[in-house]
Amino acid sequence: MMSDPKFQASEAFAMASNDRADGNATVPPPRSAIHSGDNSLWADASPLLHAACQDLKEGELIHGDNFNLYAAMSALEIMDPKMDSGIACKYYSLEEAIEDGAAPIPFSVDKTTDVRCTIDIMDHLLACEATWHKGHSLAQTVYSCLYLLQTERTSSHALLHSYCKVIRATCKEVLSVVSDARTHEEEDVFTMSYGLPLGGNEDEKCLSMLNAVEETVSRQLRACKASSSKKRVSEDIEPLQNNPDLEEGYCKALLCRLRFRKHFYHLLISMRRPQGRGLELGRKHISSCIAEIDSIRKSSAFLRARAWEISEQNRCNTTASGSEPIGFDASINCRLAAPTPPRAIEILCWEKALDYFVKLLQDLDHICSYTLDASWEAALLFVVNFQKSQPDLVSRAHLQILLIQGGKLYGRDTIFSVITRAAGLPEFTKSHIIQENEFMVQLGQLVINLLKILCTNAAWQRRKLGKMLQDWRVTYVQLELAFEKEFGETSNISNNKHTSITIFQHILPWVEEQTYWIAYRFLILGFELELYSVHDYCMVYWYIYAVLTKLAEKKHIRMAISSGTAKKKTKKKKDSLRDDYQIPAAVLFLQSQIYLAEGLSMMLAALRNEQILVPPQSPFNTEREVFMQQFELLQRACLPDRVSYSTFKESTLHANFSTQVLSDHFKEAQRIAKEVKSSFAHDPDKMAEIRRMEQVAEHNNIALNVIRQVGGALEPCLKISFTFTHHPFFATAIVKRS
Amino acid sequence: METSTKEDLEIKKVNCDASEIEYVSYGGEHHLPLIMNLVDQELSEPYSIFTYRYFVYLWPQLSFLAFHKGKCVGTVVCKMGDHRNVSRGYIAMLVVIKPYRGKGIATELVTRSIKVMMESGCEEVTLESEVTNKGALALYGRLGFIRAKRLFHYYLNGVDAFRLKLRFPRPELHPSLPVMADKYGSHIPSDHDNSAFEQ
Repeated sequence: MMSDPKFQASEAFAMASNDRADGNATVPPPRSAIHSGDNSLWADASPLLHAACQDLKEGELIHGDNFNLYAAMSALEIMDPKMDSGIACKYYSLEEAIEDGAAPIPFSVDKTTDVRCTIDIMDHLLACEATWHKGHSLAQTVYSCLYLLQTERTSSHALLHSYCKVIRATCKEVLSVVSDARTHEEEDVFTMSYGLPLGGNEDEKCLSMLNAVEETVSRQLRACKASSSKKRVSEDIEPLQNNPDLEEGYCKALLCRLRFRKHFYHLLISMRRPQGRGLELGRKHISSCIAEIDSIRKSSAFLRARAWEISEQNRCNTTASGSEPIGFDASINCRLAAPTPPRAIEILCWEKALDYFVKLLQDLDHICSYTLDASWEAALLFVVNFQKSQPDLVSRAHLQILLIQGGKLYGRDTIFSVITRAAGLPEFTKSHIIQENEFMVQLGQLVINLLKILCTNAAWQRRKLGKMLQDWRVTYVQLELAFEKEFGETSNISNNKHTSITIFQHILPWVEEQTYWIAYRFLILGFELELYSVHDYCMVYWYIYAVLTKLAEKKHIRMAISSGTAKKKTKKKKDSLRDDYQIPAAVLFLQSQIYLAEGLSMMLAALRNEQILVPPQSPFNTEREVFMQQFELLQRACLPDRVSYSTFKESTLHANFSTQVLSDHFKEAQRIAKEVKSSFAHDPDKMAEIRRMEQVAEHNNIALNVIRQVGGALEPCLKISFTFTHHPFFATAIVKRS
Repeated sequence: METSTKEDLEIKKVNCDASEIEYVSYGGEHHLPLIMNLVDQELSEPYSIFTYRYFVYLWPQLSFLAFHKGKCVGTVVCKMGDHRNVSRGYIAMLVVIKPYRGKGIATELVTRSIKVMMESGCEEVTLESEVTNKGALALYGRLGFIRAKRLFHYYLNGVDAFRLKLRFPRPELHPSLPVMADKYGSHIPSDHDNSAFEQ
């Protein structure tokens, strides 16, 4: 037991009940090997504690100034393995582990065994790395490798040494990207690296070491191939290991692993180059990485065969061979691990680790294929599409730092220039002095923040999007007031004396449009996150309908103003007349979605009104409270204005199946979708989306027909369910007669 | 915190009528080991004894136990307090042992606790639940909770959680709003209407 003079007595003695204090059957044998430090002296305090326990009646607690009941919840019972991370350790320190022979160098005097063990370590490290990426602490994953904790020890073993160095450099690189992005709030276990030897600035060195080792193994492979085909060996080189029959297999297994690490590290460095200059090179490295992973996978047959002495049940699943890797201790860093109860982390199996890296590489490739489009809308669209594959933290962080560097888009374009371009303003306005207006600066911050937030995981993203609605609204109001104050009420479009007026007139509707877009995304993310129960759908679709209506309106205004400015440049009057009567395709697209949302909302209202799908009656609250909660953030920001639970009830109170009205919504959605297809023929993503929308309209119409035929409330055995097989957030009704 | 799940087709169910279940408010130290044993048995997160004491000492009126023929078969442990100027109840633990699930015991335990919270002036009640816990989500959904947030990798095993929230009706700020009677049962409470609370 410990008695550190700095240790607070009150904390040491907080033991509650007698029956827990006695007889913890798993007390480990006393260690004489606990090292005394400069400031600590070990003394056995058991008799003292035992006496203190006798003094406490059952149910009594020690109180202290800094120890109340609330604080007590963070207390842990010493020596309870569920809570005390100290007790879970096998070794007290790295030194003890090494003394005990847990991390031998070399692994064996037999070179074949040595190579086998090296490969096992490489595989397990990869599995640890993937586990780390997936959300566990570095200390309990990658740095559970004892060799990594003191790389100097491995300097006599070129293969292991270079591999460890490149792992450390890689982890450091990945850590710095995620830390720089600073949007990993919920995934903050990832960046905890206190007390871990992350390595100094040895990037260049690690690659040259790796190259040297790769070169040697390549020559060993060439040599063994040459000798097997009886060709003359051009140089004398010591083989990798002793068994000539296994030389080729082991060389190949090693080479693909070394090459994967090399290309992966190069990839990370390329992607860090400013303004996306390394993206093209990055794609080449990704392609090499994927090829090497394929080779790594293929090497498992050979490696498993080599480990023939291991039975099926004893096979380790984190290595290709199935052998336990040498030199890992998950609990060695237990004091550096996350401040949670000690928990054995399950390291991802080797196969899943490879799958993880393949996915990571595919997501990074998606990023590297981006053309850094100067258009704000294109950037938004890119991020939204990127998120569809549910990328993990590491790739999301990479996207974010590509998009926003030094407060600029791609480190290249000022945010004000992005806004002016998006608002349809002429190029020269991007350097206008108005950008120094405090509200324009504020708007710039909001825009940067929005792009960053869109790169985060969906759960966190939605919360942040909800919170920013008010900020966007307030900024809009402030800009509007500033505009009116400066230029008075005479703000008609023909008055172009001041560029400032033009700028405001373009930016204001653009800000509104973005605000409604954020509201829309906030609502639809709820489907992806499964936040809505089927009984919430009616009000959710109704609110989406309301928000989309506003979004379409603002988009139309913004586009009209933009094209109005553009029109003044062209002198073709005939064209401008035609344009005035044509609703832009982007707005029509939204209108189709509006009809879908309305149709779904009304259908669900009718199902409720006709007693087919009735929500359970809560003893504690009503639909009104549910509505207020679901849309609280939108209501607070008045998005849209004059929308409330009352207006929702008014709209939906009379929905029923007896008329064609419900079908009309879906039919109209279909008609517009069809009409707008031709404008998006060049855009495969948009076309796919339109097709999905058509499917939703089609199938819901079919469902409506069935319901109408069956007769509504008179038919008690209609079973209605909703599915998202056709579209991620527009549901399709499935009608069954039971 | 945690609610036990409803899987388990292999567990032998006990045949008993709802009227045979006795519900008791937390009565003192003698109840504590019963609660602790149930929770230790059924829930995966480790709680020290201090955690239990924190809840049952400060809010004994919010914890309930369910007994069947003298055996403790279920419990709910809660707290309440001010959170950013809002008086809020929190459901920390809810357990019903497997042979007794599916009989509405959990619903009854939770309902009793929420009633006390409501009567004590709470404006809302909240808890976290694993996204995979269909039983809990259905139970709380029926009581009027919505899934307010999704919490990424909330639990140590990497599972996400939902933050569930129930908001009690508030007195209207604009008494001029008409009471719209929804003919199918629930109606929108106006200023002084408390019928939603009455059983």
